[in-house]
Amino acid sequence: MKAPKAVAILKDNLWANNPIFIQILGICSTLAVTNSLNNTLVMTVGVALTTAFSSLTLSALKDLIPRKVRMIVQVVVISFYVILIDILLRAYLPEASRQLGPYVGLIITNCIIMGRAEAFAQANPPLLSFWDGLTSGLGYMAVLMAIAAVRELLGFGTLFGLRVMPEGFVPWTIMIMAPSAFFLVAMVMWWAKSVQARRQTAGKEAKK
Amino acid sequence: MKKDSMLYVVLFTFAVCAVFTLALAIANEGTKDLVAANAEFATQSAVLGALGVPFDGKADAAARFAETVGAGEAPRSWLATVGGADYVAVEQSGPGLWGTIVVILAATPDGERIRGVRVVSQNETPGLGGRIAEPWFLGQYEGERSPGGRVGMRAGAESSGAADSDKENGRVDGVSGATRTSQSFAAIVDAALARVKESGGER
Repeated sequence: MKAPKAVAILKDNLWANNPIFIQILGICSTLAVTNSLNNTLVMTVGVALTTAFSSLTLSALKDLIPRKVRMIVQVVVISFYVILIDILLRAYLPEASRQLGPYVGLIITNCIIMGRAEAFAQANPPLLSFWDGLTSGLGYMAVLMAIAAVRELLGFGTLFGLRVMPEGFVPWTIMIMAPSAFFLVAMVMWWAKSVQARRQTAGKEAKK
Repeated sequence: MKKDSMLYVVLFTFAVCAVFTLALAIANEGTKDLVAANAEFATQSAVLGALGVPFDGKADAAARFAETVGAGEAPRSWLATVGGADYVAVEQSGPGLWGTIVVILAATPDGERIRGVRVVSQNETPGLGGRIAEPWFLGQYEGERSPGGRVGMRAGAESSGAADSDKENGRVDGVSGATRTSQSFAAIVDAALARVKESGGER
């Protein structure tokens, strides 16, 4: 793995081509899990690991996979890792497994995983694909954790389940429900896009 | 063999499925006992919690459970003597707002006074309906009188939004903002009391 390329991929997945606010992938899970930081952390770690390992596996198998059944094989590999994570959570983290409920199984529907498998792992070597999957997961995690921090703080008055707000604080019920994630995701997109647009115009003017 | 030939495609797909499914089967087999132990601990801790028996950790819960609780005649029911009084505990499930709510309820054998209630599983909205699993809500049931095997639920506008501390009125306060979940919960508690009465009357 060449270092400059790895750094470029990291920057791309965390900022320039972030799966949430640029590619707009994986929005459904953003709405579902981000009302508590604990659940978000477990879920996003699950997504990052699934993306990384399924990209690795699919990239390693890419020369063997016939094009006709490409997608079927991708789905088999992705669901393999998701079920594996579900089994491991149930065995070693029963509390988190109970709280996440059906969301773990829903990792498989996360478009980021298949998106990376199709867009990157198919044309790149295994280790680089692993890194790409992992950093895509990290980009997803960064945005979701930020949203979850706002939602949990205003919706429950806590962070990671610990009381932060003063006793008299009235929780904002809307923050617990899915609509608030729409507002917050939109705000993140607005912020990120305007910063990127400003940088682009600044870059163009510097060239002139 | 050509990569796009029918035979290769079929064989490859078959092999990929077989290998990955085998790996999952091995993982499942390997963790089966651990998963079963976790499920057993979840049930035991809920039964002990409903009976008001304190415990400390997994091993202690199993010991206390073996010490105080015996199996009832009906499936998923338990008999126990705590502090010289007999209690019947039952597991009861019913529909919530989003999914099934499973509770364990302990009460006197005649079903006239509740000992305690614990939620085993629920999928209600976190922070709203999900608050039925919180101690302030379940605490209202501890020692609550249930005349005729029923506990009233003050849901919606009737609810004070705080816990009802009167143990003799046969009423509890619902979770504000979760009227439907509160009503469902009341129905599950009443059904559980009916089952306690059924199995308690046989003794």
